[in-house]
Amino acid sequence: MQAIITAKNLRYLDTLRYPAIEIEQGSATFICGASGSGKTTLLRLFNGTLSPAEGTVRYGGTDINEIDAIRLRREVLLAGQVVYLFDDTIRGNFEQYFAYRGEPCASEEEMLSCLHLCSLEMPLTSRCQTLSGGERQRVFLAIHLAMRPKVLMLDEPTSALDQKTARQLLERIKAHCRQEGITLVAISHDPVLAAAYADHRIALTEEACE
Amino acid sequence: MTDIVQIKLWQFALIYLLLLVVISVMRFGKINKTRSVLWASVRMSLQLTLAGLILTYIFQNPHPLFIVVYLAGMIAFAIFRVFSINKRLNPRFRLIVAASIAFSGLMVTAYFVWLVVGESLGNPRYVIPIAGMVMGNTMTGVSLGLKTFYQLLEDQTVRIETLQNMGVKPDKLFLPLVRQAMETAILPTINSMLGTGIVSLPGMMTGQILSGTLPMTAILYQIAIMIAICTTVCLSTFASLYFGYRTLYNKRSQIQIGSAV
Repeated sequence: MQAIITAKNLRYLDTLRYPAIEIEQGSATFICGASGSGKTTLLRLFNGTLSPAEGTVRYGGTDINEIDAIRLRREVLLAGQVVYLFDDTIRGNFEQYFAYRGEPCASEEEMLSCLHLCSLEMPLTSRCQTLSGGERQRVFLAIHLAMRPKVLMLDEPTSALDQKTARQLLERIKAHCRQEGITLVAISHDPVLAAAYADHRIALTEEACE
Repeated sequence: MTDIVQIKLWQFALIYLLLLVVISVMRFGKINKTRSVLWASVRMSLQLTLAGLILTYIFQNPHPLFIVVYLAGMIAFAIFRVFSINKRLNPRFRLIVAASIAFSGLMVTAYFVWLVVGESLGNPRYVIPIAGMVMGNTMTGVSLGLKTFYQLLEDQTVRIETLQNMGVKPDKLFLPLVRQAMETAILPTINSMLGTGIVSLPGMMTGQILSGTLPMTAILYQIAIMIAICTTVCLSTFASLYFGYRTLYNKRSQIQIGSAV
């Protein structure tokens, strides 16, 4: 398999140094590491919202500095750890996020399908203010899935979920990504989940993925 | 309408007795602002006395250079105040704010004096007081606009980060905040326009009437100055925010709030 993202000699500020990294196209890669080891920063270096002090990140063989920043972020899509939803219905949230990107919104069928992938069976008219933390997290992930990225980066996607739901969600998302040819990169603090669903694991600190 | 009552100094001094009321209220309410009130009163009195002496000299010896220097001082002070209230502005943002305040303030003052009043721009009796009113309100409007804008940025960090990660262009991300900040900045001016003549008789008009001007003449001036203030506040705040927000991200659309990029 070909590498879709590669990083060499990567350093962020004076504090974070990364090993050489290769993310295989179409695979599921889990990033592990202790708190403060720079997991989230690494994803932000991949989508170009941060720049390294040293080293380069290549996407599809091209230095990301030569790729239009907005196009890069849409193709290498990061679902952040902290969920943000508008005070609106689930449908309204899909519509608002797509409108911000200046793109036509996903169809109702696609929205429901993405919610199903995230193990959430709820009417699109449900108001997001009344949802639980776990439900909000899944709506948030579903919106990202509906945006059809080439690389989907999930920062702690199961932090607000119970074990059973977390497993179901990762299983479905992984199967969907494999089917659609989407490369999945996820940060997880849970070594059991990482062992179960990762094709490859990147450890930013020793014994992180054990 | 020409019987102007000249206030005698001892009579004028009576007004300071009202401050005793303020201090009593503060003491009674245990509000820890007595020193501030006293300091503000002393400073205001000294500043105005000094301004009065300088203006008397300038009016008696009109020279374009005096006007330029006075206006430059006024603008510099307004800009300095805005910067001291909004400390997080990066150097490019500061430059934009300074240019917006100076340009809109001077332009509207020139329009007012030259076209509306029909006086020469070299007449300090018109240029300086009108510039003072315009710049004072501009300072408040821009400060409020910037403060609101930065407050919104702070409150909406997660929203901004999420949209940025989703590949939303920075202008789509910042412009709604610019609009909200603009609305907040212009609100006091609009309220003051709505309440004028009903709730309040504005200072400029009251001053003119007390000094013997016909009420209708004073009203015409007041209407004109309020529209001039509204225009300057709107122009300077809009220009500051609209051009300033672009300094918060670089060519790679990376957002850096609070420092230059």
